[in-house]
Amino acid sequence: MERALEFVLTIKPLIFALGFLTPVLAQALQAMQVREPFGLASLAFSALVCGAWGTLATIRKGRWI
Amino acid sequence: MTVLPTSLPADLSGLSSAELLKLERAIARRHSGHFPWFMVIWAYLNIAVWLALWPLTILGYLPLWAAFPIAVANMTLVYLPTHDAQHHIIGRPGTRWHWFNEFLGHSTSWIMVTPFEVLRVTHLDHHRYANDPVLDPDIATSAPNAWQAILRSIRNKAGHDERNAAYGASLERHGRVDLMLLALAYDFVFLAILCALAWSGYGLHAFFLWWLPIKIGFIPIDFYLSWAPHHPADAMGRYRDTRAFRSRLGNLWSMGMQYHIIHHLHPYIPLNRNPAAYREMRPLLVARGCRIDGL
Repeated sequence: MERALEFVLTIKPLIFALGFLTPVLAQALQAMQVREPFGLASLAFSALVCGAWGTLATIRKGRWI
Repeated sequence: MTVLPTSLPADLSGLSSAELLKLERAIARRHSGHFPWFMVIWAYLNIAVWLALWPLTILGYLPLWAAFPIAVANMTLVYLPTHDAQHHIIGRPGTRWHWFNEFLGHSTSWIMVTPFEVLRVTHLDHHRYANDPVLDPDIATSAPNAWQAILRSIRNKAGHDERNAAYGASLERHGRVDLMLLALAYDFVFLAILCALAWSGYGLHAFFLWWLPIKIGFIPIDFYLSWAPHHPADAMGRYRDTRAFRSRLGNLWSMGMQYHIIHHLHPYIPLNRNPAAYREMRPLLVARGCRIDGL
């Protein structure tokens, strides 16, 4: 139980990035009428950007900047 | 019935420490013990405004860009009534209003996504050990100047988390593993709510009404409640660890924190009574050698 909790805490930045920031960025792009950034669907683009940032934050032990 | 002195002797220099303390307590008693309606109205008006932002923005009555600064202000303002409840100011233990004190604390602190008891245990440690480099949970807000203090507050909110670590250490010292788990539960439930809102199409609402306002709204709290009144955070002791100061933004915009020294000396006085108590107590503070920088 404790190890599972530790694992979830470790990857929490990635969960936050994909679960929250991704749809938020996609909705922001739609609100600004930015369609198909770099030829990608806005959700796919957001998942790439936020996933990369979330992975970095996970590697940096939760530090986003 | 005890008759309390309404004015201080003109010359305090001949008084002993015990006599000075007696005068100090007499002033403090005059400003405490009343039901603090002002703080209660503040608490629930603030939370009502924040809750109203959700339907107003979702139904299109208020644009999100206009609601965002209001939500930031709500997050800044939510802490202070909760803080009074942490000190049992709304209702002392054993009195008829104590249940309401606890109710106010719990019913307002959830929007900050921190359990009320976590706030209380860690904050009382701050009072107990103010400016202690190891034991004061708020020492993570100390900084050599105002800009560094703001920067440190931002870094803490971006995952550097020195303050969270200090809060965790405080709870551990008190053996409150239950509160550590409760704080984690709050964190996960908050994450689940954010994700659910975002994938339901309300991501921007969740971001601009809740997640980002918590981050921004607590920068002034860190600054005015933790950094400014304790700066330079290098002295400990009842009359040394907190100072009075004159804020460039005035007392209102610094949330009454110019008089934070009164709160540390007599934490049972409601926030809105601290200025009056300070004005009466000022000669005693001078006699004690307190820092009353320009106030």
